[in-house]
Amino acid sequence: MQKFVDLHKRNLLSGLLILVFVWSLFSVNWGPDLFHSGGKHTILQMVKSFFQPDLSPEILQLAVTSAWRTLAYAVTGMTLAILLAVVLGVLASGILYNGKQRIWVKSSLRGLLGFMRAIHELVWAWLFVAAVGLSPFAAIFAIAIPYGGILGRIFADMLNDVKPEPIQALQSNGASRLQLLCYGYFPLAAADMISYTMYRFECAIRSSAIMSFVGLGGLGYQIHLSLDDLKYHEVWTFIFFLIGLVILVDLWSRFLRKRLVS
Amino acid sequence: MSPTPVFELKNISKYYGEVSSLSSLSFRIDRGEVVALIGPSGAGKTTLLNILSAMLPPDDGTFFIDGKPVSSLTSRRQRARKLGIIRQQFDLVGPLPVVHNVLAGRLGEWSLFKSLLSYLFLQDKELAMHALHRVGLKDKIYEKTAHLSGGEQQRVALARLLVQKPEVILADEPVSSLDPARAEDIIGMLVRLVKEENQTLIASLHSVDLARKYFTRIIALRDGQIFFDLPVDQVTSQQLSDLYKIMEMKEDAEVC
Amino acid sequence: MNAQVEHETKTTRRRPGFIAFSFLLAVTLIAASWIYILFVEEASLFALFSEKNLEHTREFLFSMMGIGVEEPAFFSKESWMNALRLTYETLVMSILAIGFSVIGMVLTVIPASANYADGTLMLAKKWYSRLVYGVIRILYVFSRAVPELIWAMLIIFIFKPGILPGAVALALHNFGILGKLCAEVIEDLDMRPIRSLASSGAGKTQILIYGIIPMVMPKFITYILYRWEVIIRTTIVVGFVGAGGLGQQFKLSMSWFHYTEVTLLLISYFILVVLSDFISEMLRKAVQ
Repeated sequence: MQKFVDLHKRNLLSGLLILVFVWSLFSVNWGPDLFHSGGKHTILQMVKSFFQPDLSPEILQLAVTSAWRTLAYAVTGMTLAILLAVVLGVLASGILYNGKQRIWVKSSLRGLLGFMRAIHELVWAWLFVAAVGLSPFAAIFAIAIPYGGILGRIFADMLNDVKPEPIQALQSNGASRLQLLCYGYFPLAAADMISYTMYRFECAIRSSAIMSFVGLGGLGYQIHLSLDDLKYHEVWTFIFFLIGLVILVDLWSRFLRKRLVS
Repeated sequence: MSPTPVFELKNISKYYGEVSSLSSLSFRIDRGEVVALIGPSGAGKTTLLNILSAMLPPDDGTFFIDGKPVSSLTSRRQRARKLGIIRQQFDLVGPLPVVHNVLAGRLGEWSLFKSLLSYLFLQDKELAMHALHRVGLKDKIYEKTAHLSGGEQQRVALARLLVQKPEVILADEPVSSLDPARAEDIIGMLVRLVKEENQTLIASLHSVDLARKYFTRIIALRDGQIFFDLPVDQVTSQQLSDLYKIMEMKEDAEVC
Repeated sequence: MNAQVEHETKTTRRRPGFIAFSFLLAVTLIAASWIYILFVEEASLFALFSEKNLEHTREFLFSMMGIGVEEPAFFSKESWMNALRLTYETLVMSILAIGFSVIGMVLTVIPASANYADGTLMLAKKWYSRLVYGVIRILYVFSRAVPELIWAMLIIFIFKPGILPGAVALALHNFGILGKLCAEVIEDLDMRPIRSLASSGAGKTQILIYGIIPMVMPKFITYILYRWEVIIRTTIVVGFVGAGGLGQQFKLSMSWFHYTEVTLLLISYFILVVLSDFISEMLRKAVQ
């Protein structure tokens, strides 16, 4: 028996995960009740309109302005997120100070970054809208907080992973901690930090698109409106614009990352 | 009538673009021979071994295995019975336990059902145990292969060959990533096992010392041609230094 | 700070053209977006901090904390039990979601790998492999570019509200992400052990079982667990459109202004996220 376990450690784990999934299947009441009565018809309509998106000038114009708005929210949100992440990331990496308080500050800041990230951006958005009303800033802050959290944690890790030799050389030249940061840590970690930010920027576009759900404009909002009116042709136009935007940003970020890392 | 040679090559050539990698090689290797293939890097040792293992067709010349053309080895099972290959240590599936890597030598013989079954319940386990015993790794049978040292991994590869039992073993730099002491261990073990099993061995090597100590015949390649092909006791130090001389200078020049 | 960093990298690379262009593009985008937000949409940061708004915010935060609320939800056993049930439902939804996306990924990932399509993986090539590769890759891009919430909005027209539509929506998005990640694992596979298996006489299926699967498995499981963490975080969002779990209740409580209930749900959600991160990390270590 022990031999069997030795031989199949990973297989047993995979088996366990599969069992958990199978067990979760039983919590669904399988049956015709799962679908709306017109469900089949709706699928057909959706699929049909997929091949005939609405390309009338008004819709296209609306799609372009909505796409721009989605992009603008993502960019402004990311700007704040980067600022947050640099400040919190530097503090959480613990490179600016040492001594007793270091571990304490480090772990509490990492906890804060974890908390910012744990809550989904749309939940943040909703809380902001409930608190301050409908304002683009609700969307911007809602993107800035979780993205600041994830970027901050990664930035802290990257600053901690910087090669020690150049830093020690600067130290022996009598550089202050702040000088170390500007002339040592940042330049050394910059390529990785920018790569990762670009990688997350693509996700921010998607996040920005769904901000519309709490009433903030953009592509998601238009998709929402068109769906409410059952205008599937328009829905696909907006979705195609969203996909196009995501692909453009993805291509840009991929090329830039390749250049930076190579 | 002399017995049919295992390999018979007549005017074998291989080109990469304009450059010839092998030009007009001819030799024969008889059953039970233990041949070392030496020469500076880039001399064509790997290309030659790939041709011998029937993985790379030559561009010119004729090539017989057991007096028959290569095309007669149609099924993978036939091929696995005839030829076994060992390369550097990176040839094993790291995340699998040692025993599966050893039993992989049986995959050509097993039916699909049997090989599926063996994933859960080991088949021909005694065979694997015995092979691991012969290479001195009996206690590592359930260990994750990637956790073994380089020398141990090469011994697992030897155990796989013991289970596969091919007539001929082709070894391509089998010890190039090991330290000298470990390398000698492995080569010594390989040659011993080949002799015990009455197999034929052709191994390319970096180390001339190992070639002279353990092998019976040395084929030296340089620039895609046979520089010499002699029984080991007829190889002189002068020949060996000539073989490497110019290339060393070239390599030095390239480094700078 | 960004400018400085950009400048540093720019001077140290050989071909600064694209990086300089990216830098300019980034600056333009940032400037244009902020100008748009501040002047075209006329969003004022100061207006946010007006007397009236601050009062409103304070009221909102107080009622979330249950200050001045008659029967705060977190003192009611019933509300706790309800939250617990919803948390469990959300957990089940996330497992269904990752399960569906893994099934989709496993069925498509091999033909979606470039080294399978050009014949180097299995040492055999079919005339249609390139075509299949392209089609699956387009599916991956499509599936991944559409956010979970949008998938959920579409799906909810077909399924009745419950955890299944939520799981399907999450799976549709994660299918593309997992597919892309796992196809890259196969593309980065070390080919030497596979060639060695082939030379020992192994056939295609045997190479799959004794070579490819054991080598890709640890990385696949790691990616799957990472995506599960993300899915847990996102379950609440698909619930907003009626796909069950904590999200659905969150939406209801928000629209009835039951803010203490919102707090309770958020606490449950947060605990679920932290717990799943912990479990996933444990499992990831066990696989290594």
